[in-house]
Amino acid sequence: MKNIFYIFVCLVTTLTACNKDLNVDNPNTLTDVQFWKSESDAEKGINAAYAMFYKPGVWSRWIYFRLDLTSDEGFSKSPWVELGDWTRFQYVNYNFWEGNVITWRDTYKAIFRCNQVLANVPGITFADPEKREGILAQAKFLRALYYYYAAILWENVPLVLQPSKPDDLPKQNTLAEVFAQVEKDLTEAEAHLPVQWDDPNVGRPTKGAVRAFLARARMQQRKWPEAKAALDYFFTGQGMGRYGLVANFQDNFTHLNENNRESVFEIQFSDVNKGGDGDDPNQNMGTNRPQFFAPRGIGWSDGQARYWMVDEFKKEKTAAGTLDPRLRYSLFYPSLEADFGDKIYGRSWQWGNDEAWFRKYQRDYYRTNEDYFAQDNFRLVRYADVLLMYAEVLNENGQITDAAKYVDSVRSRVGMLPLATAHPEALLGKDAFRERLKTERMLELCGESVRWADLKRWGDLETQVGVDKVALRDPDFKNFKVGKHIRLPIPQIEVLNNSNLKQNDKY
Amino acid sequence: MKKISTACGPGRNMHSVSRYILPRGKHLFLLYLLMTAFAGFAQAQQTVKGKVTDEQGTPLPGVSVKVKTTSTGTGTDVNGTYTLVVPGGRSVLVFSYIGYATQEVPVNGQRAIDVQLKRGESALNEVVVVGYGTQQKKDLTSAISVVSPADIQKRQATTVAEALQGLVSGVYIRGGGQPGSEAKIEIRGLKNFRDDNPLYVIDGMITSANRDFNPNDIESIQILKDASAAAIYGSRAANGVIIITTKRGRKGPMKVEFSGKSSLQITPRYHLAETPEFAKLNFMAYDNAGVPRQNLDLSTNTNWQNEAFRVGNMQDYNMSFSGGSDNGSYMVSANYFGNNGTVISTGFKRLGLRVNTQGSKGIFSIGENIAITNSTSDEMSGNPYVDVVRMLPTIPVKDPSNPGGYGYGNESKARTFGTNPVAIANLEDRANENFRIRGNLWAELRLLPSLKYRFNLGYETSNDHYKYLRKEGNWTLNQSYDPAIANENRGRWQSAIVEHTLSYNGNFGKHRLTALAGQTYQRDTYGQIWGTKRNILQNSSGYYYSVLDQGSEPQTGGFEQKAVLISYLGRLEYSYADKYLLNAVFRRDGSSRLAPGNKWGNFPSVSAAWRISKEDFFRVKWIDDLKLRASYGMLGSSNIGYWDYLATINTFSTIAMGRDQHTLPGATQVRLVNANLRWETLTQTNIGLDAAVLDNRLSFTAEYFIARTKDVLTDMPIALTTGNDGGNPVVNAATLRNAGVELSATYRGEASDVHYSATLNFTRLRNKVEALGYGRQNIFVGNTVTRIGQPVGMWYVLQTDGIFQTMDEVNNYKNKDGKIIQPDAKPGDIRFKDNSGDGQITNEDKVVVGSPWPDFEMGLNLGASWKHFELSMNWFGSFGATVFNGYRSLVDRFDDNSNYRAGIQPWTPEHPNTSVPRAYYGSTLNSRGDTDRWLEKGNFARMKYISIAYTLPEAWLKRIGFTGGQVSLSGQNLITITKYGGLDPEFNNGSLFERGFNNFNFPNLKMYSVGLQFGF
Repeated sequence: MKNIFYIFVCLVTTLTACNKDLNVDNPNTLTDVQFWKSESDAEKGINAAYAMFYKPGVWSRWIYFRLDLTSDEGFSKSPWVELGDWTRFQYVNYNFWEGNVITWRDTYKAIFRCNQVLANVPGITFADPEKREGILAQAKFLRALYYYYAAILWENVPLVLQPSKPDDLPKQNTLAEVFAQVEKDLTEAEAHLPVQWDDPNVGRPTKGAVRAFLARARMQQRKWPEAKAALDYFFTGQGMGRYGLVANFQDNFTHLNENNRESVFEIQFSDVNKGGDGDDPNQNMGTNRPQFFAPRGIGWSDGQARYWMVDEFKKEKTAAGTLDPRLRYSLFYPSLEADFGDKIYGRSWQWGNDEAWFRKYQRDYYRTNEDYFAQDNFRLVRYADVLLMYAEVLNENGQITDAAKYVDSVRSRVGMLPLATAHPEALLGKDAFRERLKTERMLELCGESVRWADLKRWGDLETQVGVDKVALRDPDFKNFKVGKHIRLPIPQIEVLNNSNLKQNDKY
Repeated sequence: MKKISTACGPGRNMHSVSRYILPRGKHLFLLYLLMTAFAGFAQAQQTVKGKVTDEQGTPLPGVSVKVKTTSTGTGTDVNGTYTLVVPGGRSVLVFSYIGYATQEVPVNGQRAIDVQLKRGESALNEVVVVGYGTQQKKDLTSAISVVSPADIQKRQATTVAEALQGLVSGVYIRGGGQPGSEAKIEIRGLKNFRDDNPLYVIDGMITSANRDFNPNDIESIQILKDASAAAIYGSRAANGVIIITTKRGRKGPMKVEFSGKSSLQITPRYHLAETPEFAKLNFMAYDNAGVPRQNLDLSTNTNWQNEAFRVGNMQDYNMSFSGGSDNGSYMVSANYFGNNGTVISTGFKRLGLRVNTQGSKGIFSIGENIAITNSTSDEMSGNPYVDVVRMLPTIPVKDPSNPGGYGYGNESKARTFGTNPVAIANLEDRANENFRIRGNLWAELRLLPSLKYRFNLGYETSNDHYKYLRKEGNWTLNQSYDPAIANENRGRWQSAIVEHTLSYNGNFGKHRLTALAGQTYQRDTYGQIWGTKRNILQNSSGYYYSVLDQGSEPQTGGFEQKAVLISYLGRLEYSYADKYLLNAVFRRDGSSRLAPGNKWGNFPSVSAAWRISKEDFFRVKWIDDLKLRASYGMLGSSNIGYWDYLATINTFSTIAMGRDQHTLPGATQVRLVNANLRWETLTQTNIGLDAAVLDNRLSFTAEYFIARTKDVLTDMPIALTTGNDGGNPVVNAATLRNAGVELSATYRGEASDVHYSATLNFTRLRNKVEALGYGRQNIFVGNTVTRIGQPVGMWYVLQTDGIFQTMDEVNNYKNKDGKIIQPDAKPGDIRFKDNSGDGQITNEDKVVVGSPWPDFEMGLNLGASWKHFELSMNWFGSFGATVFNGYRSLVDRFDDNSNYRAGIQPWTPEHPNTSVPRAYYGSTLNSRGDTDRWLEKGNFARMKYISIAYTLPEAWLKRIGFTGGQVSLSGQNLITITKYGGLDPEFNNGSLFERGFNNFNFPNLKMYSVGLQFGF
């Protein structure tokens, strides 16, 4: 019986010891209750929101397919047919991950990160409360940025403004409501962002970045006077004199002269980490764009440029009678070597005679191959764009002569004559000016992910006549159905899983 | 002491001891103890030899010969002979064999005892291990299947699971021929949305019988299928339990046994076009699309299957040494298993050593089982079963103009993004090595004749090492540049279990009572570190120094995991006059994986049986045994991640910031969690009937069960607008119902010299979703929908309706409003059904068209012996499932360049009578994947195994000093009867929702084996 007693004692002691054992701490990382306590936590929180720029659904890869390839500047000959179909309005499977779902997911993933900052940082004590406001302002800017592009792509998206819970099924919002939120966030952000950051913080949004996006949001809504008010910052406001055009046009697309005076807002890409794109250690901070847009045999060549742009560049010579130097740095095209002496990744032209590829952000200026870790910052907004936006806004407000000034300053950087000399017909009226501006924007900004929003804003995609005209440049637009393809279908799983969502019209 | 040392687990001893000692009273017991303690001195040992035959005089191998009331025993060899050292002249020998009446023969000083066994006794006296104890099969009240280890061991298989296929009803098994791969096993349906593997208990160690476990070490294997049987294992047992006991030594001089098998493996192959046919079809697809033809290299005709596949081989050698005395026994076995895969650059090797020993003194006994294995696998890169299809026959294997020197797609002459399987096999090396120690140490103390305490300490550890080297060079078109990269990780898994059990056994007249109480504590830990370097050093002859000291741009990482499970368990077995049997189990589990406050769960079960044939009123002569069983029980599961209830901060974000682009850290929550995770509970009702008729020649078991899983722990998809990533949060969401019928019948007979037996298994299972999480009605995954009221993963696709033959047909295909449904179609295009009636083909037109679940599955096992020859055969069949033929969805499409199915006839105006639409390059409209065009019936019947064995005549063997020997020839998967057009209708897709998607899963291989077995 002693034995039994002994065993019993053993059992009881092990039991009591054990119950505590069920509380096993996770030795790998912080729990959410241990976080959002200090200034440093707040900084890390906002940094994590910036890290979303490096995710493939958005700015490291697929969003360029939506913004550049879907527009009349680009197209796809990818042997991955479905990938190509999603650049030519053949949206069959709305759950196509690379074409639709991942961009939707990463957009909201970024918004979740912003919402965490906005919900948690106000409760943290800061030595300097203005620093806290600055972090909140950055979160608002980034949230506005993601909602701006969501509005461009899907239009009727739900506005999620609080940190998510697993069972959230948010309500759908209208395009107007989404833009209103973008404007609200930007307006609130501006007050607490600086005109210029100190060197260690260059890359964070400035008042100028806020104003540029505010103008973009208002322009998309064709709120021209309000858009002008936003842009006045650069010309009559605090931003006056702070921005300019770099002498060398190419400097806008390489890693050699980043964050220069032309830069209004840049995504800071780096090749320091050579990891994957998941949320793991050593995650990639570079962009995959050059690997996907490089010509066949060098990169995946899933996207290339429409040849009409080569013709357009060649229509007008500089004041000195030479080819527009922007052609050289914008596109790879058959006579590039003959025209400017540049080889393509060290190779002579070996592709079709009617083919072209985007050269901006490709790294042939220093290497002969590509990979997934490109470090050249993507200029989301540069001053040349601001100048052209201002010109457009002024024109829409009826100030054509003023408008021409700003176009001319963009043209003169590359030695092109003023509009009055080179294109006097453009100054004859608002419509004529707008038509010329469409070309000017392409010549300056092609391949910089602004064209899709431009086409939407100009109304070119709202009538069959307009679409037919675009289709002359880009036959993919023959598939374009007015009233349908102006926006993407919402991922089907999302519509099925959230009864508050309605699929976009005609899908 | 021999009285207490175990042969088949503690329960059996309780029976034997109680039966022979208890009635005599306490004094006698003490006397008995004294006697047995000095038995070694008091009794003279003697050796008894003999031969066991049946009524016709045919030798019976495998007959159990035991000294009554002890665990001393042996088995007859292939010639029916045995040799046994018995403690003394007054011992009684017990001869037992399945299907034959047990005989007891007093030794009475005889040196040779030959026995003739008579048919009659049913299989119901088999002892079955039920978890923390044993029961006789006749006393079972729940659904437990016993498989003969010999049936498993004669098959050539890497894992136990693979070898079980078709041998048990109610168990769904799908394997594949990839070296070192582990088969999927599902007991009684899909009961949750997570890992559906059953729990393995090997010698009391809660573990998994993965590829590191040698199936040749098995002495007994039982499958606990219903809740009341598995209840004693509580949590983790919801998917059923497989209990394995490994071999141990028996009293007598050392026995040496050898078995060896050597096999050839042959992969099934596709019938793919060669260059002339490929070119014709490819040109047609380009011409139809108005795209300029590509400049195909017609002088090349590569058979990619010849390049990527080879004849594989498998070697399996086992040697064991066993023996024992009154007070102890030992068994040592060594195993080598080697498999050179049918895919180039794949292989698996296992070296194993097992030592099982036990000893006893007085009321104390102790023993251990330990297995040490080292497994290495050369893993496959990419999936050659897709690659050989995606590579065009016009591409050469080698092409010096490409980086690395291999041929692959080319923009102007071979547009494909297929991977060259030879290139990737040579340019990527992946090796995995696991060194595993698995074993347990147990001790027993018989406190009273009827009361026993047992302590069990189980321990398992695995040292895992993974090594990856990517050499410089390309294997596919337009690949991004990568330097040579080396990656390596080392991890260690540990699992320890401590168990205390106390069991009581009592007989009171016709009442029999067994009680068990216990407590267990299990802790699992895993830790890993990894490192990666780029630009790995290479010497002039091309060799890479892949150690992590070399190279640049280092990356490292590591993590740790830990979980604890604490349980209390109790069981009560009661029987009255062998007629009325009652069994009740209670288990209380605490799991660290669940949220605070929800960590504990209680899981009771009860079962009862009625042996009708023992009733006085039962007078049906031809029925020998008839038993009705019923059980009801609850089981819990917390089989989720380690900290799924805990919201954590991901600290791995980094950003570049500032003019100098310095790196800054970021931190945020990435994955959402549900903080209130609780136990998933399974409630299962089982009704069973066991019968033996015709002098026990025909035995029959029938089971019906309903299992309902509530609060299923699942990572149910949530709205993407939550911004969640890193996996959907685990949630207690769905309710699943599985109901099924299992039948099993065995007939044994003989006609003159021929003995034969046939066993038929039948399983019919119905799976139904009763609720999904978050108020959800459907889950859509790929081409499937999981919908309330229906089985999991039903096919949900567009319906095709033939091919448009003329423009008129296109123009006349309108909805009720007169809208032309497919205005862009041309003759030769597919007509889709406009199920929504809106005049266009959209996702709204998708409907449920089929189930991936078989209607029923069957196994048929046949055996026959004649003199020295023995023939056996296993068939397995699955009927009624609809499967998605991933292969055909690739080779029958023309929008993208892959190789085509040989003999395919796409629609042309000249050949309009075909089911294949016109070939059209560059548009998915005729080849979309989400249609019923790729669905096929997955019915098949397959001869899983056939063998013929010859037992060497005794006379020959004696001359060379052997006691037994057998040679055999066998084959696996040699015959398959099916109309399925893919590579193998018996495939294993890892996805729960897409179980019917045959997505180039590694096929089962044909195997031809020779085997040799001998002992001395």
